Amino acid sequence: MSKPNDLVQGTLDLLLLKILALQPMNGWSISLRLKSISGDVLQVSEGSLYPALHKLEQEGWITAEWKQTENNRRAKFYSLTRLGQKQLESEAANWQRLSSAISRVIQLSEA
Amino acid sequence: MRMEHWWFTARLRVRSILRRTRVEQELDEELQFHLEHKIEEGIAQGLSPKEARYRALRAMDGLEQRKDEMRDMRRIHWLTDFLDDSQYAIRSLRRAPSLTAFVVLTLALGIGMTSGTFSMVDALIFRPYPVPHPSGVVTLVSTARDNSFDDFSYREYLDIRAKAKSYDGVIANADMEAVGFSPEPGATPRVRGGMLVSGNYFRVLGVEPRLGRGFREDEDQVPGRNAVLVLGPEFWKQEFSSDPSVLGKTVRLNGVDFTVIGVAPETFPGMQIFGHPDFYMPLAMARVFSTDRQKNFFEDRDDRELNLQARLKPGATLQQARTELALLAKNFEREYPKVNRSRGAALHTQFEMRTREDDINWKFSVIFVVLALAVLLVACTNVAGLLLSRARTRTREIALRLALGAGRFRLIRLLLTESLILACLGGLGGIAIGYGIVEWFHTKQSIVLMSDLPVSLPFQMDTRVLLATLALSLLTSILCGLAPALQSTRADLVNGLKSTDADIPGRKRLWGRNVLVVAQVSTSLMLLTASFLMVRGFQHSLLQGTGFAKDHLLMTTFDPRLVQYNPAQTQQFYKLLAEQVRQAPGVRSEALTQNVPFGQDGFDGVAFVPDGFQMPRDRDTFSSTLDTVDEGYFQTMGIPIVRGRGFLASDTAEAPRVAVVNERFAKHFWPGTDPLGQYIRLDGRAGTPVEIIGVARTIKYQSTFDESTMDFMYMPLAQHPIPRMVLMLRSTGDPLQLVQPLKDMVRKLDPNLPMLETRSYQDLYLNQAVRGPRIAIDLVGSMGVAGLLLAIAGLYGLVAYNVSRRTREIGLRMALGAASSDVLRLVMGKGLRLVGIGMALGLAMGFAVERLFNSVLFDAGGVDFVAYLVVVPSMLVVTMLAAYLPARRASRIAPTEALRYE
Repeated sequence: MSKPNDLVQGTLDLLLLKILALQPMNGWSISLRLKSISGDVLQVSEGSLYPALHKLEQEGWITAEWKQTENNRRAKFYSLTRLGQKQLESEAANWQRLSSAISRVIQLSEA
Repeated sequence: MRMEHWWFTARLRVRSILRRTRVEQELDEELQFHLEHKIEEGIAQGLSPKEARYRALRAMDGLEQRKDEMRDMRRIHWLTDFLDDSQYAIRSLRRAPSLTAFVVLTLALGIGMTSGTFSMVDALIFRPYPVPHPSGVVTLVSTARDNSFDDFSYREYLDIRAKAKSYDGVIANADMEAVGFSPEPGATPRVRGGMLVSGNYFRVLGVEPRLGRGFREDEDQVPGRNAVLVLGPEFWKQEFSSDPSVLGKTVRLNGVDFTVIGVAPETFPGMQIFGHPDFYMPLAMARVFSTDRQKNFFEDRDDRELNLQARLKPGATLQQARTELALLAKNFEREYPKVNRSRGAALHTQFEMRTREDDINWKFSVIFVVLALAVLLVACTNVAGLLLSRARTRTREIALRLALGAGRFRLIRLLLTESLILACLGGLGGIAIGYGIVEWFHTKQSIVLMSDLPVSLPFQMDTRVLLATLALSLLTSILCGLAPALQSTRADLVNGLKSTDADIPGRKRLWGRNVLVVAQVSTSLMLLTASFLMVRGFQHSLLQGTGFAKDHLLMTTFDPRLVQYNPAQTQQFYKLLAEQVRQAPGVRSEALTQNVPFGQDGFDGVAFVPDGFQMPRDRDTFSSTLDTVDEGYFQTMGIPIVRGRGFLASDTAEAPRVAVVNERFAKHFWPGTDPLGQYIRLDGRAGTPVEIIGVARTIKYQSTFDESTMDFMYMPLAQHPIPRMVLMLRSTGDPLQLVQPLKDMVRKLDPNLPMLETRSYQDLYLNQAVRGPRIAIDLVGSMGVAGLLLAIAGLYGLVAYNVSRRTREIGLRMALGAASSDVLRLVMGKGLRLVGIGMALGLAMGFAVERLFNSVLFDAGGVDFVAYLVVVPSMLVVTMLAAYLPARRASRIAPTEALRYE
């Protein structure tokens, strides 16, 4: 089984949207960025990265474009769409609510 | 999914469908890019290129599965699968070209017969009125004891229109009628079809004129004030070459000037199925046209000449409207007991009107739909049988696919795709055949509808019919593809892989095939019986003859109302006409009659009470069919007077009223007594007494199929004046030679009076009585032949296939000592049992069809045993032959050869 199943359902989408909100990126850079931000805590298999990206594209939240990389190779660059921006905002808000609720519950049990 | 969202992603989806290879390439390229970087990273970390590559691939968790996952993301795999399946199916169909051709032809025949029939039934039954929101338009009818679809009078119309609250408007129209039309004053009038309509007609129907305007309501208020005219689209094109300046032009109708105010749009040929009026006139101008002169159209409540339709208010239900109309009819009955006694009213939707029981179009539609579906069914079972055989020879291929992990559902889809492609090809062929049938109908149009008025067969292959054909093709693909697909994918893997043609033990598998044989035999027997019954019934009727002389007769119709004659002028005209033609050379005798036998206009009816007859409790009067004739009629038509006398010149309006009845009438009311000298009273007990002075031989009055015919009464023209009469001339030579001299005579009497429907009587008779029914018989006959051919081919194929499948077994039996007669019995025995069951079922269906025919056409009552004596044995011989040929081949197989057979 691949790792994203360990992530809370839908979290990978949120992470990808957030990363792409900062700047358009290709798949390889995204995988590097994911690793560097979250360290070893969030392990995303490279195998499940691309299906996830394609799903976001089909949903219309991100859009893809073929461009040259710095070392002059063709790569598929993903960027956030207006629809994706909205989706990111609502999912982020959702996540905030959820995590603060959960931490409140945890603190309660310790008190 | 939200709309906006869908729109956004549709582009991607379309791209993945249309540029499949491109999208695939990009997918590869993207993953390749990632892998290369990963490998470079590995090498940089000190791994060997091989190890780095291995690690990169591992990190992907299975590259190909990932790719599949991504393809699924595109949500089009159902389509790409379908395209793959189609390609595969086309390839495998091309490998069996003769089978494919046979299947496609079979399906084309079945679908074509059905779509041709549907184009007819659609026009007759289903096609909605050519107006906006046609479902809101309902038809109002007056109901009497003898006629539950009667018309309304003008007064009744005004009352309903004023009092009914359920409608957005109630419209009225008279039947389309012959109108003498001259484009400018002074030109000789020609006969055209005009229709009287109420002032709100176009507004309520929602028909916007293409040019000018429709009628205003105030143009229908004062009788005779507004002589205005709206042209029909076709007439505008033909008569005025679509000239827009026709607005404001004055034309002459029946000698009265009318002003053209508008042209109806192309989309509105009229509300009737067959008749498409050349022009419309407001009801208030009714006096100019052929309304009943003995009554006052605008005043008499029993002058019922109007068809009423109404548009339901939005929100009003049929039930409310019905209750309201019933109440209105009750009020009529209370207020006007004399003319509305036991008379009600009813409301019908378009569908109800077109499927009323007594409607001949509906009856014919039912017959043809049943027969066409039977042909389609035979075609389908045929194809299903073939596909089943074919699927079995592919057992090994299918077992292999199943063994390799293909899902059963997926395989069924593959096989269904194949039958879908076959059905689509068959559908295309079917559309071609359907076009052929519709064209054929159109060539027969002048025969079916022989008239001076603008009538036409509205059958056409339009979008509706094409869509129906498409749906039919889909249905057939499932019908004939599903069973074989289900059966062949149920295969037992072990056995399937072992042999190319494994026979899986169990009865289930054979059951399907047996049902096919039974269905085929029974349905084609029914089709054959139907066509045979039709032909025989028809020939029988023709051989009976009609009871009068049809040759050397010229007929032409006059309607002096068209030139505004009053009753006295009309009588004078007919008197002068008769005197003149009598002296013309080549005329043996002459007669005037209100209607001719086999004519297109139905006979009038008459209500009467025989003097001294004990009336049944629930009736006030009897009714009989009536013709009004002059003193020359019986002699000219060759109808013998069997008792008493015919009419004489002395039976004038002043003389005592007399009538001649037919033999059936006499036997009906005065059995065993002399009808001569008996009296009947018209319209009830207190009516005018009429003396029976003669009995005429019973003839066929309306159709070749009249067996028992009907009660019939003749009245003398002088005592029962009718304006519209048919002149019949018995000629010494060719009756058509008399046309020109007759035209000259009529022109001398009145140059403005048109001669309507001028032709030889033989011509009318042949069309109405022979060529018309012939069309129906040809159609049913071709269906019967198609069904029989298909059934023979299907049965032969099934038995032959069965034999080839059992070759090994047969060889074994023969090697063990079975004689070839045993083999013959073995192979044929089962086939014949199935044929027997099929025949029994087919006979039952044949009886049902015969009853249907009897109720519609022949009314012979009994069972035509001769028909069955011919049909059943010939069917038996044919099916036995179809089973015998392959069986004989089987019995001659050399055992050594059969055992080697694989």
